[in-house]
Amino acid sequence: MTPAAVPADLQPVEPGYRYSLMLQSAIFWLIPLIGALVLDRLVLADTWAAGLVPLIVAFFAFGAVVIGPVRIYRRLGYALDSRLLRVVRGWLFHVDTVVPFVRVQHIDVTRGPFDKLFGTATLVVHTAGTHNSVVTLPGLAPDRATAIRDSIRAEIRADSE
Amino acid sequence: MTDAALAPPARGERLHPLYLVTGLGKVVKGAWGVLAGGAYLAVQDKLGLALLLFGGFVLLSTASLFIRWLTFEFRLEDDQLRIEQGLLNRSSRTIPFDRVTDVDIEQGPIHRIFGLARVKMETGASAAAKEADGQLDTIRLERAQEIRDYIRTRRSGATPSPTASIPETENIVPALFAMDSRRVALAGMFNFSLAVIAALFGVSQTMGDVIGFDPFSRGFWLEIFASTGPLRDYVLAHQFVAALGGTIVLVVIGVGTGMVRTVLREHGFRLDRTPTGFRRRRGLLTLTDVTIPERRIQATILATGPIKRAFGWHILKLQSLATDGKQGSHVVAPLATSEEAQEIQLSLSRPMAPAEGWRSLPFGHFMSGAAITLGAGIMALAAAALLSPLALFAVAGLGIATLVNWLEWRRSRYALDAEHLFIEQGWWRQRRAIVPVCRIQSLDLTENFWTRAFGFVRMQFGVAGGTMLSAFAIEALSRADAEALRERLVAQ
Repeated sequence: MTPAAVPADLQPVEPGYRYSLMLQSAIFWLIPLIGALVLDRLVLADTWAAGLVPLIVAFFAFGAVVIGPVRIYRRLGYALDSRLLRVVRGWLFHVDTVVPFVRVQHIDVTRGPFDKLFGTATLVVHTAGTHNSVVTLPGLAPDRATAIRDSIRAEIRADSE
Repeated sequence: MTDAALAPPARGERLHPLYLVTGLGKVVKGAWGVLAGGAYLAVQDKLGLALLLFGGFVLLSTASLFIRWLTFEFRLEDDQLRIEQGLLNRSSRTIPFDRVTDVDIEQGPIHRIFGLARVKMETGASAAAKEADGQLDTIRLERAQEIRDYIRTRRSGATPSPTASIPETENIVPALFAMDSRRVALAGMFNFSLAVIAALFGVSQTMGDVIGFDPFSRGFWLEIFASTGPLRDYVLAHQFVAALGGTIVLVVIGVGTGMVRTVLREHGFRLDRTPTGFRRRRGLLTLTDVTIPERRIQATILATGPIKRAFGWHILKLQSLATDGKQGSHVVAPLATSEEAQEIQLSLSRPMAPAEGWRSLPFGHFMSGAAITLGAGIMALAAAALLSPLALFAVAGLGIATLVNWLEWRRSRYALDAEHLFIEQGWWRQRRAIVPVCRIQSLDLTENFWTRAFGFVRMQFGVAGGTMLSAFAIEALSRADAEALRERLVAQ
């Protein structure tokens, strides 16, 4: 086996994934925002803290909806070579995963409603490990995801023969 | 697969009729609600109703056991085991022998009286399906051994060597590791449970008056020593006796429970090396006979505690694809010297220590913890100055935390040799994991804003088997080291 190092040429995923992330976190943050507004109107309206809680929530929501997805997208990358898949993801919490194809048990390509809306797909690779046994690579073009899946499958088959 | 499979044995086998007796234990365990309800009714002077409840329950559970026995059938086929069960929801399960990782034989006390056994097939299925794995609850012991040998020889890949299945003569060959009663008792001493002590302390403090058990009260000791004049006077005269006596009682109970639990589990511990793996037998009332195939062993874990280490004792576990009950990894030596542990590990032709030197963790790892305790310490000092001098205790506590943190950091190290990765960590509870590189499923480098500030990353390894709690990870290493290590691991 050639001692080819871990592939370093990270490829970005589909740009549409940014908007998918934005929409997801916007929906997620809508609930705390409404909660904060209700709390503010009903409980804190006449105290010194009036308007403070929604402001704080809105601050974090802005960060999560506008700034976060762009950074997450920028830092999300993957690399493939003939032997392994590398997935790098995360902004505040950064994870860099390497999975040798030999270790892959099965592979999913999933498309949720957000994926369908923005024309992306998620590749899910399962290994036999008890910890971090599921490696997900979101935001791929559907064709690309199936192509990667097929190449990993071919690798697995070649290995077992 | 061939013509033999076309004509499987026509008749299935039933469990032994005494399943009606052995199954009762499980029924009673599941019926604590009914028991509590009955007890409540009995206390409320509604004895008739309580008896009715009990009677109905006993009748129903016996009937359901009987139906389960009637409908349960298993059939040993050429290359698979088929289990059919259920009255309304009839299910048929097929377990190919190729997928059976372990065949365990277990004997509860009732099983042993009648020469019966429970056979458990470990298939390495996901934890969710664990309960429903192939289990033949009550069959004759000889039949159980027959089934195990049958499955072992039929499993493809395993070469049916003549020595593989001669359980009787094996006793002549010296065991790889065995524990006599003294060793078991010693293991029990180390197994005292602080949790039991704490729970007892809590109970005696909160409910001691109700249940009449509070070893920390003077009345408790006065009652005991009521007949002895001088002792009684001594207790009356000295306040501290009650506290001392209470502590002693709790410690004795804590050690006692640990001792009883250990002796029940580990009595007659014996580990044998078979051509294909290990065979472990142990138990006082419930005998278990477990095989651990060598091919399924993923990692070795050598652990020790603060007191055990002082006496040079270790516990050796093997993480296998199958789990050992709720324990996760298989304990192959509950209390062993490092030489004995090494002998077991070497019999797998795996090393216990790296040939090359250990690498320590970067200092930033300690600093990242110290930064938190330092920040908290400054706040506690401010609190001590402004609010109350009691906050000085918090300062002392944080100082101790920093010291422990430093010791933990100093004791953590890792090494990689040609085929194995060694990770050692912990100062209080030391744990060394030895993972063959070919058993590592995936590699994660994780960092966050905090670790980035201190310039290290965490490297986590996906290894099969075990429980979610026993992660394999190098807590900290510099980015460059991590990438170099990863390249070496991937290249192998």
